[in-house]
Amino acid sequence: MAKSLSECIIKGDHAGAVAIVKDALDEGTSAKAILNDGLIAGMAVVGERFKRNEVYIPEVLISARAMKMAMEVLAPRLAEAGVEPIAKAVIGTVQGDLHDIGKNLVVMMLKGAGFEVIDIGVDARPPAFVNAVKTTGAQIVGLSALLTTTMPAMEGTIRAIKEACPDVKAIVGGAPVTADYARRIGADGYGADAASAVDVAKGLLS
Amino acid sequence: MTDRERFNNQMHYRPVDRCFNMEFGYWNENFRVWPMFRENEITSNGQADAFLNFDKNVNLGTVWMWPLFEEKTISETVDKRVMINKEGLLAEVPKDGHDTIAHFIKSSVVTPDDWKKVKEERFRRDDLKRQIDVEAWQKRHPRDRTYPLGVSCGSMIGKVRNVLTLEGLAYAVYDYPDMVEDMVETCCVLIEDFLDQVLPHLDFDYASGWEDIAAKNGPLVTMDFFKSVVVPRYKRINAKLKAHGIDIWYTDCDGDVRKMLPYFLESGINCLFPFEVNCGGHPTHLLDEYGKDLRIMGGIDKMALARGPEEIKKYLKSVERLVERGGYIPFCDHRCPPDVKQDYYLYYLDLKEQMFGMKG
Repeated sequence: MAKSLSECIIKGDHAGAVAIVKDALDEGTSAKAILNDGLIAGMAVVGERFKRNEVYIPEVLISARAMKMAMEVLAPRLAEAGVEPIAKAVIGTVQGDLHDIGKNLVVMMLKGAGFEVIDIGVDARPPAFVNAVKTTGAQIVGLSALLTTTMPAMEGTIRAIKEACPDVKAIVGGAPVTADYARRIGADGYGADAASAVDVAKGLLS
Repeated sequence: MTDRERFNNQMHYRPVDRCFNMEFGYWNENFRVWPMFRENEITSNGQADAFLNFDKNVNLGTVWMWPLFEEKTISETVDKRVMINKEGLLAEVPKDGHDTIAHFIKSSVVTPDDWKKVKEERFRRDDLKRQIDVEAWQKRHPRDRTYPLGVSCGSMIGKVRNVLTLEGLAYAVYDYPDMVEDMVETCCVLIEDFLDQVLPHLDFDYASGWEDIAAKNGPLVTMDFFKSVVVPRYKRINAKLKAHGIDIWYTDCDGDVRKMLPYFLESGINCLFPFEVNCGGHPTHLLDEYGKDLRIMGGIDKMALARGPEEIKKYLKSVERLVERGGYIPFCDHRCPPDVKQDYYLYYLDLKEQMFGMKG
């Protein structure tokens, strides 16, 4: 089951993934095993291949879609079984920037890794990030920017978040963002791409 | 040397009197915030080119959807508008008009039935608007002109991505590959029709195209699809270009195009534009790797411009040998954003002109 399910995720076979999840649940396989050994394992392979430039954004998108559709079937059973996400993350594109694909990819990859993700959308002002972190108790907050002109909003946003929620860890990423910039503005981590962002988030949790 | 001779010589590794002098333009905000533009009432890239005395360069042809969708506002908030844009996308845009890519919510084309309808209404080969007034073009751009003239070969997949959205394209290539292939074929056929009208009658110096089918992390379409569906269409177009002596073809594609580059070159696309440094690396890397098979236009890191004179000088020094070698025309690696101060930009232009011979 696990191997077939992972393969479906890797190939983006959403119909296959949904069918396998349904069959596995009917056969009494635990929801947690389906999640961890099938879905998350499959997305982890996709993430590694993305980091190695063996696959690119389109392949990640169809894998993430397969995972999302499989999770729609699985989610109620996970809740019944009391399976908790590994952590919570608030993700948004910063103020002034309406671009969402980078953010969406990070959301997909974090969900694929077992995070609960609160997506606050685009053009998110600092209070929106702060409120989301406060109300959800998220341990991680991710900020995305596509443009050199919107990137500066990250610094003020991180400052506001850290003042309100000093323990939350902030990760930044996006086309113009660099590791050096991330350090300068007080971010705890830098995601060079959506898959790396997951590694950074996990690293910050431990 | 005329601008035309200079461009052709530089792109063919022949001696030039000086480097071809051009830039790629500015964000709309620059026309509001930079004093030289504001005070001289310059509001467009064309006006800016003339004001800054760049070399003349004309590119002809816009083959795409016709008629466009009617723009329509669907809803509004305090600072945003949700609208149907000219390509039929449901998009969220800022009301204050500040420069940002729109937030695309939904496409008008998701299924083959959607495409069939849009194709019949907006991509008809026999639409009279697609007829070119060749005689008028010949009069406006005579054979003894002094500037380079380009012919646009449009887009095979970038504009398809515009219509479908990025996520829509990814899903459609998986769910409806025949539909996406038909969209690419439609783009190709319309370009072929256009080229058949104009190539026999005007002597173009180069061909151009637009894709924007890559991001910082690489291609935005699967490589399998790109190789099997898009590349054959490029080759068809290239055959027409070559038959009319056009051997320079650039494509405007932002992002990291390195994975696609071998297939561009195989297809006849032999010049990259505007070559975003933050995505594709310094232009020396690819120009050294591919030698004279590859040209680059652009490749001056906009982030270096923003950092000021020392960084600007350092960066221009780093491309000096590329300019001397030929096959490389330096300019800012996209529309210059407003976070580059005007003073720094003018310093950059002055230094570029001084270093590469444009200053007399």
